[in-house]
Amino acid sequence: MSKLIQKTSLVPRIIACLDVANGRVVKGTNFKQLKDMGDPIEMGLQYQHQGADELVFLDIKASVDKQDSALLLVNKVAKTLSIPFTVGGGLKILEDVDKFFNAGADKVTLNTAAVLNPNLIDQIANKYGSQSLIVAVDVNLEASGELVLYTHGGSKRVEKNYASWMNEVIQRGAGEIMINAMHKDGTGSGFDLDLLSNQDYSVPIIASGGANQPVDFLDAINAGADAVLAAGIFHRKEYTVEQIKDYLIKNKIKMRTQSC
Amino acid sequence: MRIGIINLNSGNLLSIVSAFSKTGNEVVVLDKPDSNFDVLVMPGQGRFGFVADQLNKNNWREFILDWIAQDKLFIGICVGMQLLFESSQEDTGAKGLAIFTGEIEKLDFPKTPMVGWAQLNSVDENSNGNFVYFVNSFGVRNSEFCQATVNYGNDFCAIVQKDNVYGFQFHPEKSGDYGLQLINETLQGVAACQN
Repeated sequence: MSKLIQKTSLVPRIIACLDVANGRVVKGTNFKQLKDMGDPIEMGLQYQHQGADELVFLDIKASVDKQDSALLLVNKVAKTLSIPFTVGGGLKILEDVDKFFNAGADKVTLNTAAVLNPNLIDQIANKYGSQSLIVAVDVNLEASGELVLYTHGGSKRVEKNYASWMNEVIQRGAGEIMINAMHKDGTGSGFDLDLLSNQDYSVPIIASGGANQPVDFLDAINAGADAVLAAGIFHRKEYTVEQIKDYLIKNKIKMRTQSC
Repeated sequence: MRIGIINLNSGNLLSIVSAFSKTGNEVVVLDKPDSNFDVLVMPGQGRFGFVADQLNKNNWREFILDWIAQDKLFIGICVGMQLLFESSQEDTGAKGLAIFTGEIEKLDFPKTPMVGWAQLNSVDENSNGNFVYFVNSFGVRNSEFCQATVNYGNDFCAIVQKDNVYGFQFHPEKSGDYGLQLINETLQGVAACQN
């Protein structure tokens, strides 16, 4: 393992992701066939109470539909929650990003916009600091065995090399990278550990896509993930965040707990 | 109780205002000094030098020093805590309020800023062991008024306190239930563990 062993009090994070479309939390398999899961504020509060360390709200139809309603939601979330939250979906230019920060977001996440306009990464990092920016990287393991990048909610193939894009994103100032293994999303077959193992990125890595069992979280953290993001496993109430954390603590992973 | 949040144009105040409002007290964002309050809160994000420069506008610097000299409750958060010290390696020419002696130092760790949750280490039973949320690249390594520490390459101060002046390097407004409890305790001047 090339992972640096350094002394730090920081603990791995469990992040609950809420995919929002038309003001409702939705869940789909492989980004398609959306299913209504509930109210974003109610669900956010519920996850906060369960011990989620962070939340991510993604307006997944925004880059397709150009919705602006997300701003109202962001403002309400900022006033209601007492843990950090990230917003994304449909951010194209710095002015879009300004609006989300003004509405109270702690961080923003870019995906399609980062690929189409990489300079936006530099602009956000310069204006708000690297800590305010997560770049999400949608990657799919093709039948050929090749890792291919995608944008637009997983619908458009991108002709960029995965490894060099990861490095470029860090160079330009992203504070964290969220690796979305599309071939694992919604399949419940675990995270793609190969994408996490033996990597030595200089920013925290968030593993996303494929959590089905508590052991999947353990494997991702042991493989080097600084945070693990999941959606369906929580939305379907198969496990609470607390149950996942209890399992990880039993397996010698230090987690934030909410005891007084 | 009336709580004034000092607006130094360094970051969004919405979360701070919301968190302090949850205590049931009146919360007002202050663009200029105003004595008609019981507590002053100084949040800060961004560079030490920028926020220190904002203090020079509207006579904030003199007003805050006078406020603290009167032993009124004052809370500095993140860069707002750092400004309670003399100076920072981030912007060596900039002057802090020098309520506490010492210089803010760069955190010695390969990944900065430090972003995430860390557990407080304190001799104070009420704060010891609680997790709070950090976003910072600089910190105070040593202070005789340090009440809690965390580690990021080296130990640094998470909480400083002297009389009625409190400094939190982390973000209590983003630190879940414990963060809200800490805000409550600080406002009441008591450290009571509820659960």
